[in-house]
Amino acid sequence: MSAKRFVTTQVEVEGRVETKIVEMPSRSPEPWGDDADLHVVGLRAQRMDALEKVTGQARYTADVQLAGMLHAVVLRSPIARGQVTEIDFTAALALAGVSDVLTLGDVPGIRRDGVQLFDQRIHYAGQPLAAICAESADVAHRALGLVRMTYESEAPVSTPAQALATDAPKVKPNGNTPRNMPKVSKRGDVHAGLAAADVTITREYRTPVALHTAMEPHGAVAEWVGEQVTVYESTQGIFNTRADLAAEFKLPLSHVRVIKNYMGGGFGAKNGASTAAAIAVALSRKLERPVRCIWDREGEQLDAGNRPATIQRVTLGAKRDGTLTAIQLDATIPLGIGGWQGGPGKFYHEMYACENVETRETFVYMNTSAMSSFRAPGHTEGAFGLECALDALAHELHMDPLALRVHNHAARDQVQDRPYSLKRLRECYAQGAEQFGWEAHRASCAKQSSSSRLRRGVGVASQIWSAGGGPPAYATVRINPDGTIEVLTGAQDLGTGARTVFAQVAAETLGAKLGDCRTVLGDTERLPFASNSWGSITTASVAPAVRVAAEEARERLFEAASGMLGVEPDQLESRDSLITVLGEEKSLTFAQVGRKLGDVMIIGQGSRGPNPEKTAISAFAAQFAEVEVDVDTGRVRVLRIVSAHDSGRILNPTLAESQLEGGIIQGVGYALFEERVLDERLGLPMNPTSHDYKVPTIGDVPVIEAFFVAGSDVVANHVGVKGVAEPPIIPTAPAIANAVRCALGVECLEIPLTPWRVLGALQSS
Amino acid sequence: MRLTINGVPRDVPAGDHETLLAVIRERLQLTGTKEGCARGECGACTVLIDGRAAYSCLTLAAGCADSAVTTIEGLGRADALHPLQQAFIEQDALQCGFCTPGQLLAAAALIARTPRPSEDDVRVALSGNLCRCGTYPKLVRAVMQAAEMMRAEP
Ligand code: FES
Ligand code: FES
Repeated sequence: MSAKRFVTTQVEVEGRVETKIVEMPSRSPEPWGDDADLHVVGLRAQRMDALEKVTGQARYTADVQLAGMLHAVVLRSPIARGQVTEIDFTAALALAGVSDVLTLGDVPGIRRDGVQLFDQRIHYAGQPLAAICAESADVAHRALGLVRMTYESEAPVSTPAQALATDAPKVKPNGNTPRNMPKVSKRGDVHAGLAAADVTITREYRTPVALHTAMEPHGAVAEWVGEQVTVYESTQGIFNTRADLAAEFKLPLSHVRVIKNYMGGGFGAKNGASTAAAIAVALSRKLERPVRCIWDREGEQLDAGNRPATIQRVTLGAKRDGTLTAIQLDATIPLGIGGWQGGPGKFYHEMYACENVETRETFVYMNTSAMSSFRAPGHTEGAFGLECALDALAHELHMDPLALRVHNHAARDQVQDRPYSLKRLRECYAQGAEQFGWEAHRASCAKQSSSSRLRRGVGVASQIWSAGGGPPAYATVRINPDGTIEVLTGAQDLGTGARTVFAQVAAETLGAKLGDCRTVLGDTERLPFASNSWGSITTASVAPAVRVAAEEARERLFEAASGMLGVEPDQLESRDSLITVLGEEKSLTFAQVGRKLGDVMIIGQGSRGPNPEKTAISAFAAQFAEVEVDVDTGRVRVLRIVSAHDSGRILNPTLAESQLEGGIIQGVGYALFEERVLDERLGLPMNPTSHDYKVPTIGDVPVIEAFFVAGSDVVANHVGVKGVAEPPIIPTAPAIANAVRCALGVECLEIPLTPWRVLGALQSS
Repeated sequence: MRLTINGVPRDVPAGDHETLLAVIRERLQLTGTKEGCARGECGACTVLIDGRAAYSCLTLAAGCADSAVTTIEGLGRADALHPLQQAFIEQDALQCGFCTPGQLLAAAALIARTPRPSEDDVRVALSGNLCRCGTYPKLVRAVMQAAEMMRAEP
């Protein structure tokens, strides 16, 4: 009697815990522990798709050119709230080369963030109102300039205060907040905790709306053939996109094929079918031609998601020795016109040991574009509040802020009262502080002259992020007659290196040469399911499935080879694509076995098993920043960031370090420059370009020393891996703000730390 | 109009108002050059015009009739990589790769005019090329390595 094939397990993605059905894998391999004898996993192998990328051959969505392809551009609302009274396309349609327009009547029931596509009621600036399709993008753009539109504008709801006012105009039919606000979450008794405290502090922190600003904007190319549509989309989730489009266009899943080979960054904004994809699919169906629809930069900055702003009112209580007795948060999070409730609260519940925690989050709708996930949604915002408040508390207690953090280290997950699979945060603190020279730097900052113009400061912040991944995820490993190997899985590589590390896992398991392995991703029609690449889950979800598939393939390969060699399969081992008989000279290469087999394929199938029960799987880090502040100009320069991470086993340190550096650099932008500026009277974003919305350039980057604290997480999964992508951005802004406080002796409660904010903080002190 | 792209003269039926980027990508289907903003802000469209780095999205194609234009397709081949391409791979100076063609050409222009660049020279030369993935530290290393490789070459 075999065990159950389908069971359930918990999977946590971006703070959302879901119970999932999981198909038990055909085998559960022995976990690769710290002492596992591995040869390919852990190598600093070159990125597998680097050659395509440096030669310009990598084909991104906008590079797809199909015979007879048309080009669609979008008419957007220039106002934030009101009603379209008329759109006149006569002149646009008269232009030579213009094919058609797509309007509300063509897209019934297709909604994005709760708003009907091409709704003539205007909910936010930049809202799509129609699309124009032409023989070339050039003609389509010129046609756009010929459209005449009239509308009635109304005063928009642009701030949470306006939205929550009793006489506020309604942003959504059901009001200006989601149901059941505030969202309250608590453990213990926060009032008792505050009463028991020797010291309490209260602060109000503010974080900005941040824009993903991926270098490649959203976009899609759609082509209908017969009853089927193929969609090339820049997406983090090909299967999510397929499901969205199939539902919206009332098609069987088998009739929608979504392809994403390369993409120019997502960072959370590309998690399902984009508006561009819906437009391209609808136009392609209508006109019976392939259609390309790519957001221009302004559209991308206006209408492609954002990290929502927060206002976080924080109260902490502690004993004299630093023991936290109470953590209280009252937060307001303006979502824009829609989005999901990814708030800062969870970080407050899980970062530090504390019996009494209460968070209240009020999510608010306004007449601005909808938020979406953005690299560690909620936690990046929450870390700024809590980690800065902790520094203020340390100051009040005359404690070293690092010591205060170590003192309040949480040994267990207090949210669900369960152990961590592995937690090496203490090692992160110790190794990070050592590498940074924390003690010495703090001492020298304390000694600097208060009359000097340039002041140095150092700061620290910590991080936690659920990074266990989980099922479902599938992989197939195929050995060709010439001994080359294909790893097939419907996951995505956003630039993370997923292609490379899956090949490393397959090569390791098979005993194959890495150079003989190729990973194929990003095609719903040809590949087995893997979930969205979000929440730092891809590697921990898919790598175990690849390992199982490769084990199955190896078993078959060894069975075939054993007959050829006249021995039992268990007498065989393999390395570098050579199968040898233990203790004997006899051997066969994979290619020799393959040639003898001819077209008899060796195929292994693998799936991702359940997560361990009642166990929290998280990634951790401690980050240290050194800054120099010019007290005359208010300019902050980040000089150095040291970041020590626990993400379990690292499959390829080079690629993982690249992700750490990238996350930290985005964190520097969030701390210092990035902010969507809204004209609150008109509700219009003032800086929807990549010039006026400031992302870091190469000149803004500090010295970065980011590294991993060694250790395989064998409880998490049998490969020992946890997520890497999101953790590095979480602690960067508070580490920098804390360093600025150390430099100036003044707290800055709001990011980005632009010169005028820094000068303002100095003046008000 | 007649354009010389990667050493090959080509007659292109393009309007006088069309940008070099649009002509390269849409008419010649050389899609290695990327469009990130089409307004001179991101550097993804960088090409070489007579050896100098230029934003092709801000350049009218008609103005390039007497110039030699080099795109990423002309920098090196998969079987004969330019030292910069080799160094980018070895240093992992790319993640999503979308900004990479532009970074490579901006760097090529730098090394051509300054064979012995300092790290700050590299930062200045690449300051008009955004990379949202944050490959900047590795870009500096890769360009320094490539410059050294090219000096060592006979
Ligand atoms: S596309 Fe030319 S600078 Fe951005
Ligand atoms: S590698 Fe992604 S934008 Fe530079």
